[in-house]
Amino acid sequence: MRLWLSLPKSAWFGAVLLAALVAAAAIILRFAFGLNGENIAVLMLLQIAAVLALAIFSGNSGIVSFGHSAFMGLGAYTAAILTMPASVQKSALPALPGWMAGHELPLLAALGVAALVGLLAGFISGVPLSRLSTGSMAIGTLAFLVILHVTLVGARDITRGSQTFFGVPRLTTLGVALAAAVVMVLLARMWRESRTGLALRASRENEVAAAASGVDVTGVRLRGWVLSIAAVTVVGALYGHFLGAFSPKDFYFDLIFTLIAMLIVGGMFSTTGAVAGVVVLTAVIQILRRGESGFSLGSLTVPPIFGLPQLGLGLALLFIIWARPIGLLGLTEVGPATLTRKREAAPAPAALPPAPEQTATKRLEVRDVTVRFGGLAALDQVTFDVLSGQITGLIGPNGAGKTTLVNTICGQQRPTAGSVRLDDRILSDMAPWRVARAGLGRTFQNIRLFDRLTALENVVVAAQQTGADRAAAEGIAMAELTRMGLADRWDQMASGFAYGDRRRLEIARALALAPDFLLLDEPAAGMNPAETDALIATLDALRRERPLGLLIIEHDMRLIMRLSDHMIVMNKGQKIAEGPPAAIQTDPAVVEAYLGSRRKQTS
Amino acid sequence: MDVFLQQCLNAISLGGIYALLALGLAVVFSIVSLINFAHGELMTLAGYAIYAALLFAMPLPVALGAGVIAAALAAMAIERVAFRPMRRADATSLLITSFAVSVILRVLFQNGISARPKPVALPPELSGVVTFGPVHLSVIALASIAITILSLAALSLFLTRTTMGRAMRAAAEDFQVLRLMGIRANRVIAVAFAISGALAGVSAALWIAQRGSVDPLMGFVPVLKAFIAAVIGGLGSLPGAVAGGFALGIAEVLFQAFLPPEALPFRDAFVLSLVVAVLIWRPDGLIPAKTGRRS
Repeated sequence: MRLWLSLPKSAWFGAVLLAALVAAAAIILRFAFGLNGENIAVLMLLQIAAVLALAIFSGNSGIVSFGHSAFMGLGAYTAAILTMPASVQKSALPALPGWMAGHELPLLAALGVAALVGLLAGFISGVPLSRLSTGSMAIGTLAFLVILHVTLVGARDITRGSQTFFGVPRLTTLGVALAAAVVMVLLARMWRESRTGLALRASRENEVAAAASGVDVTGVRLRGWVLSIAAVTVVGALYGHFLGAFSPKDFYFDLIFTLIAMLIVGGMFSTTGAVAGVVVLTAVIQILRRGESGFSLGSLTVPPIFGLPQLGLGLALLFIIWARPIGLLGLTEVGPATLTRKREAAPAPAALPPAPEQTATKRLEVRDVTVRFGGLAALDQVTFDVLSGQITGLIGPNGAGKTTLVNTICGQQRPTAGSVRLDDRILSDMAPWRVARAGLGRTFQNIRLFDRLTALENVVVAAQQTGADRAAAEGIAMAELTRMGLADRWDQMASGFAYGDRRRLEIARALALAPDFLLLDEPAAGMNPAETDALIATLDALRRERPLGLLIIEHDMRLIMRLSDHMIVMNKGQKIAEGPPAAIQTDPAVVEAYLGSRRKQTS
Repeated sequence: MDVFLQQCLNAISLGGIYALLALGLAVVFSIVSLINFAHGELMTLAGYAIYAALLFAMPLPVALGAGVIAAALAAMAIERVAFRPMRRADATSLLITSFAVSVILRVLFQNGISARPKPVALPPELSGVVTFGPVHLSVIALASIAITILSLAALSLFLTRTTMGRAMRAAAEDFQVLRLMGIRANRVIAVAFAISGALAGVSAALWIAQRGSVDPLMGFVPVLKAFIAAVIGGLGSLPGAVAGGFALGIAEVLFQAFLPPEALPFRDAFVLSLVVAVLIWRPDGLIPAKTGRRS
């Protein structure tokens, strides 16, 4: 809880404001349309709660779930069996197992049980799902939709099978639904800012970069899924107590299609968008439902169209994806800026770590690393050390095996033989996110940022993986942004940054891991000479400021010769030379690799 | 012996249908990273085309051919109208687009044709039994297996022996490089959709042959299973899709045959739970897809 209180004040303000807006909308509906308005308002509030529960996983992870509606069904049946009057239960469900019968719990207690069932179901389904790749995971959720649906239909003694399940007390009043929606707004909005929520959003933007920033992508997906499923199970319980009578079909494809349409149309990337999508599509559905039985416009008579609301939702979805794929509201969240139009003050930067006083030298050891792809040896027994406090340059012509080497050091590629060690830890046995936490930061040849996160959030993600809470992580992040000269753009989306700034933001993010070693993969690629000079100055200063070992892979000879204390030259998967830059320049093997030998040319 | 052999045939013929459907999904996924939800509607459409052709008293082979061609053309049309404008969109947008297209087509089938099943009359000799000495095997299951094998062989010849087929396999590994080689991306994608549609058409023919009717939801359940088959096989991997399809079909028939009667309503839950358990063991599927990855 203390951790949640350390989340940005502006987010809390936004959450409360959004909850107030939801409440106002519901109350207006109730009084504008009378008794019918009350039904519409309750349904809308429950759909807001359900869509927000879906957004906890899908919005933050970017992976659409088709399974959530079935988990709502699980919640509805679970809670309904617990709250049913015993007399009704006896006639409706004569074969109900004894331990399930006759509880007559109050609604709140039944919701508690539903939440526990949801946690359990979320965990059981989440363990296999979270290990899948992004595309497979979306399909995997379909499997759970079918599994739960078939189970609900099959368990006739408990659910009456595909027949209508009736006699559920209608306990979800406007007040209850409003409370649920408000709680869900606060939960979804604040979880989005939490450490796990932010890490999940980072994985949505770039899975590889998230892992390189220390994020355990499988772990955060699992946690997001479990919370989202538990939440949607509770909402399902409330939905059941609103309907009063239902069957498994009510929690199948039509429901999940409606929820997904609302989430996408409003904008899956923000809680405000999710809420807006529900409000807009509630209006659309209400209008279309009136037209479903046919209507006449002047002399034109439209025949009844079965499934008109579904058709409308489908067209709305197509239109929004075609015209504005990020949804109506895109990345907008309501917050203090919505009211005052004033830019928030930047968080205060933390003090940078003091200059090193000759700390013990650390070593990144690459030992006899061999990587084979089929018969081809991309790396052949490569051995060298990278020392902290030094800049080590790695060069080699195209196809020399540089990228494979980088991937092996960072844990993306397992070596066929040999190992990579940092002190006494064997990095080559670890997953990339563990390598990052063990003290190895990196940047990418083709820059990988979290495009739809702010510059500050980009860096905070990495800082939080070292164990810092949000406030401390923001301090570290501001310090690193300041170091790279990006402090005044802290609240802008990374997608809007120019090329050189993107490179620097990526370095700031890697530095926020407080790594012992920093691996830069072609940092000067695509830079003009002035930018390259600035980069050289920055990297040179970094070496003096911190006990950091830098490994730079680069084609730009000017940069590498000026910066390197030590150089390694690769060709055709082998290390062909190693030594200080001056010696490398005249090394015959290096000259031959780059220019070709005279003898070969004549032969 | 009879029963056992017949169950094996059923397993292989059902698995074959799933394999063809999963293969259709994989052909498209491997090239444009689209998980095509509307694949089931292609199958339904092929069903209606067969129904209409028979209504016009066309001979059965012609009607089946009409179904395959209709589905292939419809797949290309959907690609042209719904997916080509979004060539640069991310995987989620594509998935949602196909989801919406699928729902729209289903509502159109329900209103434009009928929400009720339309019976498709098949020649009586198809529903008979062949006798090999002591064993009796159903003609439909045998024919279905033969057609599956023919389709797989034809596709595999196409992919290995023709320029377009080779281009498609290259596209599956690295689409960008293919473009650099000067091959027209739009044509490769259009052909991929056509093949995918044709495979849906063949599956529709086999499905109808066993069930004898077509309705707006016909493609829904088998394609749902095919999605899952594609994931068990390894999303985007063509041999994987075939393996996954057969594995799923065989598992389904085995459970159907050996589950105690009181557990039969839960058959699909058991089958899919088994599938999920397989995914814990092999998250990338039985035969993972090859893709060119660079950091």
